[in-house]
Amino acid sequence: MPAATVKPNTSFETLKREHLFRNPPKDKSAFPALIEAIKPHVDSFNAVTEEGGLLDLARKEIGVKAVFDGKDGGNRGNKISFRIDKIYVGKPAISLRDKTSLKREIYPAEARERHVTYRGRLTARVGFKINNGQWQHIDRECGNLPIMVRSNRCHLEGLSPYDLIERKEESEELGGYFIVNGNEKLIRLLIVQRRNHPMAIIRPSFAKRGKSYSQYGVQIRAVRPDQTSQTNVLHYLNDGNVTFRFSWRKNEYLVPAVMVLKALVETNDRQIFDGLLSMADRENTFLTDRVELLLRTYKAYQLYSRTETLQYLGEKFRIVMRVAPDMTDVEVGMEFLRKIVLVHLDDPKDKFRMLLFMIRKLYGLVEGSCSPDNPDAIQHQEILLGGFLYGMILKERIEEYLDNVMSEIRRQVTRGTLVDFNNKDHRVRVFSKVNENIGNALEYFLSTGNLSSPSGLDLQQVSGFTVVAEKINFYRFISHFRMVHRGSFFAQLKTTTVRRLLPESWGFLCPVHTPDGSPCGLLNHFAHKCRITTTISDTSTVRPSLASLGVVSPAANPRPASATFCIQLDGSIVGWCSPKQAQSVAEALRYWKVDGTHGIPLDLEIGYVPESHGGQFPGLFLFSQQARMIRPVKYLPLEKEDIVGPFEQPYMSIAVRDSEILAGEHTHVEFDPTNILSIVANMTPFSDFNQSPRNMYQCQMSKQTMGTPGTAIRHRTDNKSYRLQTGQTPVVRAPLYNDYGLDNFPNGMNAIVAVISYTGYDMDDAMIMNKSAHERGFGHGTVYKTEQIGWDSNKSRGGKKSEFIFGFQNSAAVSDLVNEITYKPAEWSEDDRRKAFRKLGVRGEWLSTVDEDGLPVVGKKVTKGDAVAVYHEPPHDPDQVAEHKCFTYKGDEDAYIDEVRLLANESQDKPMQTFTIKYRIPRSPNIGDKFSSRHGQKGVLSQKWPATDMPFTESGMQPDIIINPHAFPSRMTIGMFVESLAGKSGALHGIAQDSTPFKFSEDNTAGDYFGKQLLAAGYNYHGNEPMYSGITGEELAADIYIGVVYYQRLRHMVNDKYQVRTTGKISELTHQPIKGRKKGGGIRVGEMERDSLLAHGSAFLLQDRLFNCSDYTKTSICRECGSFLSTMTTIRKMGSVSRVRCRRCAKEATGFEDDGIVWEDGLGGRFVGGANTTTVAVPYVLKYLDVELAAMGIAMKFNVCP
Amino acid sequence: MSSEYTNAGTVGDRSYGQPQQQSATMHYLCAECGVKVGINKGEPIRCKECGHRILYKQRTRRMVQFEAR
Repeated sequence: MPAATVKPNTSFETLKREHLFRNPPKDKSAFPALIEAIKPHVDSFNAVTEEGGLLDLARKEIGVKAVFDGKDGGNRGNKISFRIDKIYVGKPAISLRDKTSLKREIYPAEARERHVTYRGRLTARVGFKINNGQWQHIDRECGNLPIMVRSNRCHLEGLSPYDLIERKEESEELGGYFIVNGNEKLIRLLIVQRRNHPMAIIRPSFAKRGKSYSQYGVQIRAVRPDQTSQTNVLHYLNDGNVTFRFSWRKNEYLVPAVMVLKALVETNDRQIFDGLLSMADRENTFLTDRVELLLRTYKAYQLYSRTETLQYLGEKFRIVMRVAPDMTDVEVGMEFLRKIVLVHLDDPKDKFRMLLFMIRKLYGLVEGSCSPDNPDAIQHQEILLGGFLYGMILKERIEEYLDNVMSEIRRQVTRGTLVDFNNKDHRVRVFSKVNENIGNALEYFLSTGNLSSPSGLDLQQVSGFTVVAEKINFYRFISHFRMVHRGSFFAQLKTTTVRRLLPESWGFLCPVHTPDGSPCGLLNHFAHKCRITTTISDTSTVRPSLASLGVVSPAANPRPASATFCIQLDGSIVGWCSPKQAQSVAEALRYWKVDGTHGIPLDLEIGYVPESHGGQFPGLFLFSQQARMIRPVKYLPLEKEDIVGPFEQPYMSIAVRDSEILAGEHTHVEFDPTNILSIVANMTPFSDFNQSPRNMYQCQMSKQTMGTPGTAIRHRTDNKSYRLQTGQTPVVRAPLYNDYGLDNFPNGMNAIVAVISYTGYDMDDAMIMNKSAHERGFGHGTVYKTEQIGWDSNKSRGGKKSEFIFGFQNSAAVSDLVNEITYKPAEWSEDDRRKAFRKLGVRGEWLSTVDEDGLPVVGKKVTKGDAVAVYHEPPHDPDQVAEHKCFTYKGDEDAYIDEVRLLANESQDKPMQTFTIKYRIPRSPNIGDKFSSRHGQKGVLSQKWPATDMPFTESGMQPDIIINPHAFPSRMTIGMFVESLAGKSGALHGIAQDSTPFKFSEDNTAGDYFGKQLLAAGYNYHGNEPMYSGITGEELAADIYIGVVYYQRLRHMVNDKYQVRTTGKISELTHQPIKGRKKGGGIRVGEMERDSLLAHGSAFLLQDRLFNCSDYTKTSICRECGSFLSTMTTIRKMGSVSRVRCRRCAKEATGFEDDGIVWEDGLGGRFVGGANTTTVAVPYVLKYLDVELAAMGIAMKFNVCP
Repeated sequence: MSSEYTNAGTVGDRSYGQPQQQSATMHYLCAECGVKVGINKGEPIRCKECGHRILYKQRTRRMVQFEAR
């Protein structure tokens, strides 16, 4: 736009859009950007289930487990070994027993409609061998595993929009979620520590681990190829020693670091010393002292060779590791190293070198030559992808399953039962004793988000892993997939450091799109160009390339004195070089990777951390594995796309715009400044003109808009769904709007907005709507509610539960009667009708909303209390008349029966037990409904102003919406003014206006650009116009700012919120009104409200609210003893009325008194006196308090006067 | 509102002049193949053609009239 060299695209692309609507593509989606947005979810799931995928790696990692049958007297007996040979995940299909269906596949739409889980069969091929025999195998069914929609186990994988519509999906169905009990659930993306990179940490809690422990540590999250992880920590002890800590099955263990070193390779003190300290380091007495001490104190263990060390470790960890009893200690020690120590590396030599590097970094941290790494910075973070987490849980469940099989065998052995694995029947019996339903465990995980795991999976939380992907509108839906959470552990943290927006996040996390309030900064959204890697890049040529650059091999011993700079690839040391050489190595690698030569993958992350004084520990760290965030930027030397990651970015010079580039300084430039914003944040027009919190509010509000959830509304059965009937495409929008295909999901309406204080009904963020605009359908919406009606067949407790069926026992008779009444209404009196229906066991009024089948009439309007289903229990004697019952509509508003779905019973030849009704509730804009522009300017509709009384311009235009000018000065949402200008000129010229932020400057202002457009259309340059009062017809004194602004209708509507009460339900205990809108309760007049009423002196109102409308009670009290509790009513005698007497002040009658003064209690006791009682009005709780106190032996006495 | 519901408390706007079917068979639409399926009272829910497990109830043939406001 500014001094435009390229003509901006000003078309609304209406024809193209209509064409797409009518002819959905039969090859691929028209919106690849959308598919890219959810890719991490689908790809991570695919990586697990694909052939040779993570599940296969996990299977291998589980390895072989063995158990003995003890058949050999005192010896162990026969050895039975188990392993998993194969895990099959099937596509969702109906059960094998079902013979009636033509199509065996279950599509996601069916799962949604039937409120069941979209899942496929999970089968495990368990291999076993007896002693040293041949491996045999047995296939076991492990239940049904929930399948991710559009993954490689879903029927929708790779389908074109045309085919998707055939399968009752959106044309742009993206998948990436699971369907659990009809709900769409997705696994949240979580931020975890960056894998395979040791991080220096100073944490005061480290010092609490024990005596002499310090706050210094180096932590590494080592990730196995199957994506399970094991965290190792090195602790610095105050005397200079180092211990190795890990947690295994939720228990923590500490081992001296030198012991691990000596167990890894056959080594000696000299080698460790050389490996730790370079020539330069040896001048540093701080380091040499500590290394000496490290080696010296280890002498106390008197373990010299590798075998001795392994034996020692194996002996100690035999129980913990749960290994087969026939393994030697050395083997156990090896297993310990394989499973716990730096599990991302295979070769013990690599582990040894890495551990040395970690110790060196720890000493550097203690010495102060390197700074601690910030665990809250994105540099040291990666993403835990949903699919990977799913695979981790699956792996653990499968391992647990094998363990359970073994312990079952062990139990049978100890019990003395015959265990014969050569016998097939025995074998099957063992397996069938074990819980094999692994699929169920995963379904539980998805539906609750709770992780039940023996190891904890190296994660910091046990719940909150899944969320429902709400489809309130498309913005909200897509945001779920771009959302990343820091972890619920951090939500409770009082410090705000984790929530802080750090510069490292630039381009990866959107700075705008985070909610305000408690999840602020913890719940972030990815910038729209940010991607997550889900596969390992091919790094086979990296090592040869490094060697060609003169990097010294890690195995070189001794290392050249100059080679002090460590080069690592995915947490494995691949070489050493001099610090000077390192920079050129890094630069060469980058050039090669962008150029595509030498086989260096483009998404390799080249983290060159230069040497510094007290900065981050130096080294060249290369990363190529999964779960990294990456984003595209332009590499200047080649003018080509480079992919950068968060680790390397802080050490790179990336210019934001071309004009900023300084030769020799910048190596990269951003493709577009808006790349840092999320999808939703990008949709805020002219967001660079707004005060930043307003843009955050807009991101919140666009996700609460009553918009368009999708186009397959007919096939959806969400519990509640909102729909805007009159959505429009905005006149003012960024080109990205089209890239993401948001015209398929309109989220608001263009409105003529006048900024004027006209009526006084627009104070405090209220707005006035033109009544005619309302009548034309502005903001008209619909709420759909789906209700399941029926009986839960699973919960048949008590064996023979009576079976209900829908419908009438004798529907022919019912319809006969109905016919008769309709044809001759005059002959039937109200009473006769009722009696006639009564005879059939039904009620006449049901039949206005229910058909002969007992189900509601589709298209009928129902009000509260109307019957929507009639059912009965078939009597044993068919001649007997069954008593019919009905389900009623419970909503407060009138609704229409939109759809009725009959769902087949789980057991095939039984009649229907459940069906669903979709109600349609029309919601036209009402006074009190919430609206907002796209600039965080929300307001409440306060009046529907008659069009005749609205102000009008010289051309006769009336505003649709009037807002108050006071909404602007303090909020500074200049973007809204610019949008108004742009919208106005866009509407006048019939063009779509580009609202991308950062396009204008001081020399080329937005006001001028759009002002000139307005001038060209014959309007005022500034956007304001003379207006005339709609009431008097006089010209208003000031010119009014009027233009076109896109308005959203928010889902908060008065009909869901209003709460009134005069009398109603009260609490049983206190007799005070209950709370809660649903229960018809009141709003509390609290302490502060009371204070204000007091201050106003409105005592009568106060009395009314707090007493008369609350728990006003009349009660009798004894004036003498001042007690509520001792008064009682007397037994009424003939001819006299019942009186109130105080039992406590009364005396027992002697029999000589006058009959008139003697009174009788309920037990036949006769008393005199106690007549000095009266009636007072008190709060009921006071009486309750008195009773409670009495129970504790405390009496309350009230002085009653006058 | 009122036009829709004349004989309050009873059967309301039963289809005038349209003879009621005497059989208890109701016809539904199969969610999969769209065919009309007749289901008698107490019969299991299954499409007779393709065996699908979801049926939609058809919109009523009776007159549905609302006050438009």
